[in-house]
Amino acid sequence: MLLVLSDEHKEHLGFLPEVDSAVVGEFGRIAVEFLRKGTNPKIYEGAARKLSVDAETVQHGVEGLMYLLTESSKLMISEVDFQDSVLVLGFTEELNHLLQQLYLENRKEIRHILGELTPSLPHYHNLEWRLDVQLASRALRQQVKPTVTMKLHLEESGGDKSAKVLQTDPATLMHLIQELEKALAELKTTHCRRILRNIK
Amino acid sequence: MELSESVQKGLQSLADATFFDMKTFSVFIEVAFRSLLSAHADRSVLDQPEFKRLDQKLLKHCHTAATTCILEGVKQNADKSTISACLEDVGFDAERTEVFYTTYQVITNLLCYSFKIHSRSQPQTVFFLILIQYFGYRFSLGRCPPHINDVSWRLEYCIKNGHVHKVNEPSYLISLNVENANNGGSSEDLHFSCTMEQLQVANMNLNGCIPF
Repeated sequence: MLLVLSDEHKEHLGFLPEVDSAVVGEFGRIAVEFLRKGTNPKIYEGAARKLSVDAETVQHGVEGLMYLLTESSKLMISEVDFQDSVLVLGFTEELNHLLQQLYLENRKEIRHILGELTPSLPHYHNLEWRLDVQLASRALRQQVKPTVTMKLHLEESGGDKSAKVLQTDPATLMHLIQELEKALAELKTTHCRRILRNIK
Repeated sequence: MELSESVQKGLQSLADATFFDMKTFSVFIEVAFRSLLSAHADRSVLDQPEFKRLDQKLLKHCHTAATTCILEGVKQNADKSTISACLEDVGFDAERTEVFYTTYQVITNLLCYSFKIHSRSQPQTVFFLILIQYFGYRFSLGRCPPHINDVSWRLEYCIKNGHVHKVNEPSYLISLNVENANNGGSSEDLHFSCTMEQLQVANMNLNGCIPF
């Protein structure tokens, strides 16, 4: 699958052949860093001074690289498709190779970052448990009531963690285990295996 | 069993034959037990023909005293000798004590049969739980964490999303139905997702909880 670059995008990336490959490499490093931690406009000004160009030109160049990397990573295009996609820019072979290396080295991480943008539910992190026997309470004496207290640790997509303290009785616990075992067994059925095998 | 002065006075009135003859007393005791077992409060619980001649204030006082005594007995899992001693202290004669305890036994046995209580459960516990249902917010069983009642699950295969294509990963969506006893018994669902590996680990942890 090839990337289709807009005219504006091509124009922004058109700045890259005008600088050294070392500078392009540095722009690539800045682009990935910005994807990790967010942009920092001061970087554009510093680079623009050193290169004697407008800060806006540098900004467009870096943002063009960021968009090239995110789109390529999102679609998980192959090496060959990436090469063919950047051919239309008319860059030198050295520059094309540099961009390809930048993509291949960082696509996994960029996909992970993009994955965090996806709306998602809290996901399972850990489960702690404790077995108690309630012997008495303010309302009722002389009890023998086994209880399982659990602390379910969940993690949001932004990294925030939460913990829920829950309780259940042994009969319900057995039911929970049986249901979850059914859920796990379902993944091994012929139907699910066929889907997992054929949709890649 | 320790009963407050007000409750003792109410029981003393109940023991007094000038207020409650034996027939009225027997009906009153049955009404007191039944009123605790009803699912909903019944304002007309004391509107019995046998109680017409009684002072309403006295009737309510005795009803409160009797129900408090019943609840205290159940809470303490009191045996016959404890209940009898307590009632004799407030002036119950042997006949009235026998009527009270017989009704107590009949009701608890009826509950044992009706609800098919497991042999490990204590009839008094179930009886008291029925009483708690009746009194609702006025009783507290103590603070406890939300209680898991049930679990639902969904297995899905993510093909792509708006930010990443070719995800191609299976995942589970688990919903725990949780009841919050501290909030009027309201229930809610707790949702979370997990991978197959995480679900296997969670299931292993839960298997470790089994006390037998």
